[in-house]
Amino acid sequence: MTAIRALVPERSRSTRDRAERRLAARMTAPSLILMALVAAVPIGYAIWLSLNQYSLRQAGLSRFVGLGNYIDALAGPDWWRAFGQTFLFAACSVSLEMVLGTGMAMLLNLAFRGRAFLRTVVLVPYAIITVVSAITWQTMFDPTTGFVPQILAAFHLPGAGVVWLGEQGYALAVIVMADVWKTTPFAALIILAGLQAISQETYEAAELDGANRWETFLHVTLPLLRPAIVLAAIFRTLDALRIFDLPFVLTHGANGTQSMSMLAYGQLNENRLVGQGSALSILTFLTVMIVSAVYIRFGGGNIRDIAREDHR
Amino acid sequence: MDRPAFSNPSPAGPRGVRTRSTRRRGVAAALAAAGAISLALSGCGTSASPSAGPTAQAVDPASAKGASGSLSICGGRDSVGLYKGTVDAFMKANPGITAKYIVLGATTDDARTQAVQRLQAKSGECDLFLTDVTWTPEFASQGWLQDMTKVTDAVKGTLIPSTVATTQYKGKSWATPYYTNAGLLYYAKDKVAKPETWKQVYAEAAKAPGNGLVYQAKQYEGLTVNFLELLYSAGGDVIDGQGNVKIDSPETRKVLDFMASGVKNGSADRAVLTYEENSTRLAYESGKYGYERNWPNVYGQLNATPLKGTFGVAPLPSFDGSSKGSGVLGGWNLAISAFSSNPGAAVAFVNFESSPEWQKHVAMDYSQAPAGEAAYSDPEVLAKMPFAQELLVSVKGAKPRPVSPVYAQISEAINKNVHAVLAGDSSTEDAVKKMAEQIKAAQASF
Repeated sequence: MTAIRALVPERSRSTRDRAERRLAARMTAPSLILMALVAAVPIGYAIWLSLNQYSLRQAGLSRFVGLGNYIDALAGPDWWRAFGQTFLFAACSVSLEMVLGTGMAMLLNLAFRGRAFLRTVVLVPYAIITVVSAITWQTMFDPTTGFVPQILAAFHLPGAGVVWLGEQGYALAVIVMADVWKTTPFAALIILAGLQAISQETYEAAELDGANRWETFLHVTLPLLRPAIVLAAIFRTLDALRIFDLPFVLTHGANGTQSMSMLAYGQLNENRLVGQGSALSILTFLTVMIVSAVYIRFGGGNIRDIAREDHR
Repeated sequence: MDRPAFSNPSPAGPRGVRTRSTRRRGVAAALAAAGAISLALSGCGTSASPSAGPTAQAVDPASAKGASGSLSICGGRDSVGLYKGTVDAFMKANPGITAKYIVLGATTDDARTQAVQRLQAKSGECDLFLTDVTWTPEFASQGWLQDMTKVTDAVKGTLIPSTVATTQYKGKSWATPYYTNAGLLYYAKDKVAKPETWKQVYAEAAKAPGNGLVYQAKQYEGLTVNFLELLYSAGGDVIDGQGNVKIDSPETRKVLDFMASGVKNGSADRAVLTYEENSTRLAYESGKYGYERNWPNVYGQLNATPLKGTFGVAPLPSFDGSSKGSGVLGGWNLAISAFSSNPGAAVAFVNFESSPEWQKHVAMDYSQAPAGEAAYSDPEVLAKMPFAQELLVSVKGAKPRPVSPVYAQISEAINKNVHAVLAGDSSTEDAVKKMAEQIKAAQASF
């Protein structure tokens, strides 16, 4: 590549670069305009709304309050409670999903009959609409008719006699379980892709050096899998921080399961406090942005390389 | 190898990875966009609305005579076929009018959102809106409805007064009752005594494991209703006619303590903290409970189970015998849109549905609680709905939920704090203070 470049005169190269760049701009313009219309304009409008206070009594009255809605939200207990509960949920569910996802990927990577079939089948929970799976979990944990409490009671297991969805901690646990059940296959598939990319030679080298299976996993597989795991963790964390449907169906935000998105939804749709609700949406949006930035910055160099790859 | 091993070509690797990683940046943006779009939709009409308030144009009852043309009625899902049935019967009786029913959404909340969007946009698509009894103040204060005082006054002699009260705001009627609803207590006749007072019910329920009470205490609108039923029965209130907050009262404390200790001592299974109407019904149908607080529609469903014949139906009891039993009024009204181009036909429809003859069909054919009083003692109705007299007692004694344009927020303030007390996460004192505070804040946002 550099050799070819050296042969081309300096000047014509820069002219061609400019022309190419113009062409690129022209070709991407339609999609950029579309993106601006469907993403940037509404976001801008939401930001504008969040700086205003709407009154229900006089529709049309919108009073500019600057950062007032944000100050209200950040000064009150509701936002911070939802913030804490959302992060607790995200931390629990994502870490479980990564551990289980890695295990599942290792199993799916083994050679056995029906592997392709199984790889498809494990995706079934992920294909089920979250609200539907939430209702299923609710039915399972129903204190009177659900089978989980009945099994727990029959075998005198811990958690027997507890109204799972009506108790702090337990309610969160059910939501974490439902989320882990649904999205672990997704994490597993991403990690599986990473697993398949590890060259067989590395394993052979490890074997020659006398590493046992556990050592190989710890010192060869895991480090090489890190980019895939981090990537899966990013997707899952961003999703988890926006969690809405599971708590909405299972608890309606009670018993320590109020998420940031639920709070924003309540203000916007149930209470029609457009300004406050928008401010909460923007705060949620910013939180998610900051977390993804942190991930990309500290999650491992390879992630940045992948991101850069996309720009080329 | 200068590229990361991870993005090396492999069957599933790069393609999956690349689309995902592009999507990563899009994920957050898409979320915000979706949120923002919904904002935009709910906010777009607000700039144009006049401050008409409750000084809207009045409907002339005489306009129903010889009305013709088309008429559309908009509301929620027609779960029992009542709306379609009314429309068909109406067209048979009024051949000059073509009426149709438009479903705005599956749930009450969806229907409200859709109705609000049309009204904010001054859409003439709907002539009549099916309105929940709690919407009247909000819709009327926005100038979205026509003043129906004369229309409602003409028929109100045949209607139950408490249902007429739900159509009123600032001294005028903004709708006409269609059908109503009130809570009932179902009880296992073989296990527990007939409900007389809430105190007796709770005491009876604590006697044996199979005697327990089930009701709706999940954190949602249903809990507000369940709590208000006890609060009203104990003589308490949320806000008075002038909008003053009355919830910080000894009655509220008494009721909260009572309900919380009921959950603690097993009068009401702790499971109620997760129950909505349907889960309550299923729990009772398991045969493990003695009392069930639910709506009239449960009657038919219970009769289809092995429990048929084992249960009784009672109106909601008084708190401790010192005051009258009082439920919370549900149900639906019909309101004429301010942007309707055919109010004459709308009045004709309202006159038809509120007539004593049609009110009978509401009960007989659709098992809903009629707004017309005569229907409850009609022999044909009693044959289909043997508990009609108990239901009438409940409906007549029922009080409307707090009348306020910010009802949704008031309800949230109530059910969140009540739930916290029942779950044992908050003290009664704290919850009462917070309820009063949050209701005042909601009123200030109005």
